[in-house]
Amino acid sequence: MRRFILMRVLRAVATIWAAVTITFLMLRLLPGDPAELIAGEGASEALIENLRSSYGLDRPLLTQYVDFLGGLLQGDFGMSYVQNVEVASLIVDRLPWTLLLTGSAFILTILVGIPLGTMAAVRRDGFLDRGLKSFGIASSALFVPSVAVLLLIVFAADLGWFAIGSTQDPNASGLAWLGSVANRLVLPVLTLVIINVGPYALTLRTNMVDVLQQEHVRAARARGIAERRIIWRYALRNGMLPALALMGLQLGALAGGSVLTETVFAYPGIGQLTHAAVMQRDYPVLQAAFVALAASVVLANLLTDVMSRVLDPRVTT
Amino acid sequence: MTDAIQSAEPAEAPVARPGIRHELVRRPLWWVGAVLVVGFVLLGILGPWLVDAPRSDQGPLLAGPSGSDPFGTDDLGRSVFSQVAWGARTSLLVAVVASVIATVVGAAVGLLSAFFPRLDTIFGVIVDVMLSLPPLPLMIVVAASLGANLRTTILVIGLTAWPEVARLIRSGAQQVVSMPFVDAARIVGERAWTIIMREIVPSVVPLIIVAVLMIASRAIITEAALSFLGLGDPSAWSWGRIMQNAQRSNVLSFAWWMTLFPSLALLLTTLGVSLAGNQYSDARNRRLHQRR
Repeated sequence: MRRFILMRVLRAVATIWAAVTITFLMLRLLPGDPAELIAGEGASEALIENLRSSYGLDRPLLTQYVDFLGGLLQGDFGMSYVQNVEVASLIVDRLPWTLLLTGSAFILTILVGIPLGTMAAVRRDGFLDRGLKSFGIASSALFVPSVAVLLLIVFAADLGWFAIGSTQDPNASGLAWLGSVANRLVLPVLTLVIINVGPYALTLRTNMVDVLQQEHVRAARARGIAERRIIWRYALRNGMLPALALMGLQLGALAGGSVLTETVFAYPGIGQLTHAAVMQRDYPVLQAAFVALAASVVLANLLTDVMSRVLDPRVTT
Repeated sequence: MTDAIQSAEPAEAPVARPGIRHELVRRPLWWVGAVLVVGFVLLGILGPWLVDAPRSDQGPLLAGPSGSDPFGTDDLGRSVFSQVAWGARTSLLVAVVASVIATVVGAAVGLLSAFFPRLDTIFGVIVDVMLSLPPLPLMIVVAASLGANLRTTILVIGLTAWPEVARLIRSGAQQVVSMPFVDAARIVGERAWTIIMREIVPSVVPLIIVAVLMIASRAIITEAALSFLGLGDPSAWSWGRIMQNAQRSNVLSFAWWMTLFPSLALLLTTLGVSLAGNQYSDARNRRLHQRR
């Protein structure tokens, strides 16, 4: 067990290191001089030279890399090219909201997916089962912004039920403030749940169909235990584990989905920051946003891995 | 030698096993998928010949669907219908080239790791790391650094999608590598290249077909996502770009036609491609089960 966790931690560290290195190399090895980019068009040679030395771009690549890694370890992502602020402070402002958004979507997907997949497995080829199968296949064809804009037009623009463009009402306090946070969270979370719940419930259903035919379930039936108890207590425990591992793999897609959803709803998290950085070609912000998203995904994945292992010691990989 | 060993396997009744084509034509969903895919390919090839290029004098600004502009117009007065028709070609191009790149790289890595256990460790780590990084944010960083154009889009999608193909092909190839006829070929002294191409590749062809369709459908969605985020080719029409224009000019919430029509085009296309892939692998699985 300890060895397993150690290996997983090492792998997570290696993956985050790879993400960091990719972002470093992307900017440095590409044609075009970052200093000219920061200075903007028509800047004087002296200004560019000045910027180059202040950003350390005139030093050897390896020195820059070591400095970059050292900076990251101290939480220093450099300065934004566009705004005169530290990148790290932007990330710290935005990341909690994205974690709230994706975390809520993750939990809600599981909460909706479990009964859906289980009921479909119990009544195989029934109405719900067929519907779930079609929806699961169609889910891979759903475009996140399409779903998000549909919800935006119907529930925010037409019905006016939900506010968009912010994470909270700064004038509210106490319960009203919590309500304002929840209100702005509903549509982005709903978008991500709609996209993710189909494949999740479908996988759970397949596992449950298998588990319900296994001997311990038959033995439980033979002992006369109530069917409801068998399904929800005995079978679900075993059926859920592979689905948890699958959800871990889905985390990367969830992070990508958050970029698109936050852009549509102008929800100021890391995803919306990413989009803004793309539009303004603000590379340090873009890199830091990617590292933050990648690190979150890798760490959450580590967590689901270790959890599956704790819940089911048989898992070997 | 290899022939002798293959024919030493228990003979199968040749008549009793219907081909995969017979299995497919009996499936209505396969036909739905096939019709959608053919429609998309035709639109991608013929669209720009049949429909006028989008121009800013095609109608009033931001007009809803009407007789003259069936899909409405955008914030610059360009016909959304023209943009959807022209955008199909971009999607088609990205889908075909990116899925070919991903499949070639993925199949090569998958086959090599199945055949050479030593390479398997190295490739395994690379595939693991690639699959652990969030794909869309990774593509955004790379595409933004390389500069937004069609070549970047295709390369970025192709080079991010291959690890999944590699994993699929590797597991398929591993089953074949342990078969006696592969050992036989090794003993006779066949070169690795010959064994892989002659003995292993033919058996993973169905997996390769599934992979191409899977990646093609994902590539169409990803191209739309990158264009929607402003990383598309500024000189190429694209379904994601129509929605990006709506987003950038702040009309997403009322100019529903600028979202609805490209979204429908995307949905029908990707649904068609995934249905075709899904039905193909379903039909193949059923056929494999019948064999036993």
